[in-house]
Amino acid sequence: MRVDIDSLDLVRRLAHDGAEQAAESLSTMTGVETRVETTSVTLLSRASARERFATATAGVELEFEGQLSGRTTLVFDAEQARELVAEQAPDGSDAVIESGVEELGSIMLSGTVDGWADSLGTALDMAPPTSLDGEFPIPAGTEYVFVFDSKLQGVDGGFEFAIYVVPDWEPLTEVFDRESDPGAIPIEKLAVFNDMTREGAAHAADDITSMTGIETSVEISQCSFVPVEEVPTHVGTAEYVGVVLEYHGRPSGYLAILFGEPSARRIADALLPVETDGDWDGMDRSAIEELGNIMTSGFIDGWANVLGTSIDHSPPEFVHDMGSAIVSPVAARLGTRQEHAFVIDSTVRTDDGEVGCSLYALPNERELMAALDDLLVERASRTGADPESVF
Amino acid sequence: MPPSVLIVDDSEFMRSLLREILADDYEIVAEGENGVEALELYREHEPDLVMMDIVMPIRDGIEAITDSDPDARVIMCTSVGQEEKMKMAVKAGANGYITKPFQKPSVLEAIEDVVPA
Repeated sequence: MRVDIDSLDLVRRLAHDGAEQAAESLSTMTGVETRVETTSVTLLSRASARERFATATAGVELEFEGQLSGRTTLVFDAEQARELVAEQAPDGSDAVIESGVEELGSIMLSGTVDGWADSLGTALDMAPPTSLDGEFPIPAGTEYVFVFDSKLQGVDGGFEFAIYVVPDWEPLTEVFDRESDPGAIPIEKLAVFNDMTREGAAHAADDITSMTGIETSVEISQCSFVPVEEVPTHVGTAEYVGVVLEYHGRPSGYLAILFGEPSARRIADALLPVETDGDWDGMDRSAIEELGNIMTSGFIDGWANVLGTSIDHSPPEFVHDMGSAIVSPVAARLGTRQEHAFVIDSTVRTDDGEVGCSLYALPNERELMAALDDLLVERASRTGADPESVF
Repeated sequence: MPPSVLIVDDSEFMRSLLREILADDYEIVAEGENGVEALELYREHEPDLVMMDIVMPIRDGIEAITDSDPDARVIMCTSVGQEEKMKMAVKAGANGYITKPFQKPSVLEAIEDVVPA
């Protein structure tokens, strides 16, 4: 499989078209206007896919086949779905409402696959939908999976649904190979980059542990491809404390390291010998800045060492705001040069979930593809550098 | 007299950490926040050792070494763990390199290699 920006965009638009159909079906059935907030194409290792979908327990899924084959799954909050259906059947029994929820899922997923079929100009056969029962299905036989991930929301913000499409690898390969230019890069290189990023996130997690004594590990690490204007939506509206900085080299781009405020407070308390006033204007701010600085290096040094280059980064800029507000200026700057963004996002967390950190790296897309094109896969393991071997 | 040290780092937190690590065995003569201050403070105090960050505003640590006294003893004290950066630091004249985060024993060991106490 070979990929480039144009073929990734084509596939993303296919996924988006499918989600739009699903949104229209939901609007028609419930009378609540629904829109597709974001659609991304994400490459995940099997391990990351299992972690990501570990909590996906309520939903409907169906298998489809034809020019593309695979499985699509609608995941939702069961209570939200019941409320939506109950409004359509106010006198309905629990059994009627449960049946309505299944039907809602079925209609939306059929709409999704129909959208794909229309966009491809072909016919896709669908198996009867079934309830998501237990573990999220991940296709066997592949080390990596592509997930087409769409978030749907009622315009009044009352509900959210997610549609995940996990296409079978071989048919998808045919689509990519057909739509990519001869100069497209092999998917193995993007996969290597994915691995490097996960390793970088693990390094960043080790930095937190080393500096604070708080044991953290990487929960998820993934590389998604989204329209640049959707980046703020992708990050979401939760409030964060952290740093943003710019890196220059091959590739250049931006990095945001964001902690939920309780996590940031716990980390600052672990770093500092005395309590601070909590206003993030003194030593606590400096501590987060320095931790962000160190984590940045932990994250991007691996890229530089494997790519055999150097990547500089600016001093960190402290931020305290909603995630979408933090990354909006970054997305705007990227948007002057490119229509899409690779969002490399990693989540680092303690076992008890009390301390969490999200890292968002947004490289220049053309520079990233060029760097990957030059990547020697055999250098993939050279993420670390030993000063003693240099001095 | 213990060896004298100039600390240069734009992070107040990191300067305080290094101060704490070095206080028992070294004399901290000054602290700076960027490469420009590093040069000014070096000329004023002539320390035995400079502990210098790389990534700083106004002027970074590697640029500062390039313009400094060729006999200055400088240990880069930085989060950057890239092989290319280490080579640049050597070429500029750095005598040692420690990557953050670090613990006290590794800092003291690195300094001992460059400026024995």
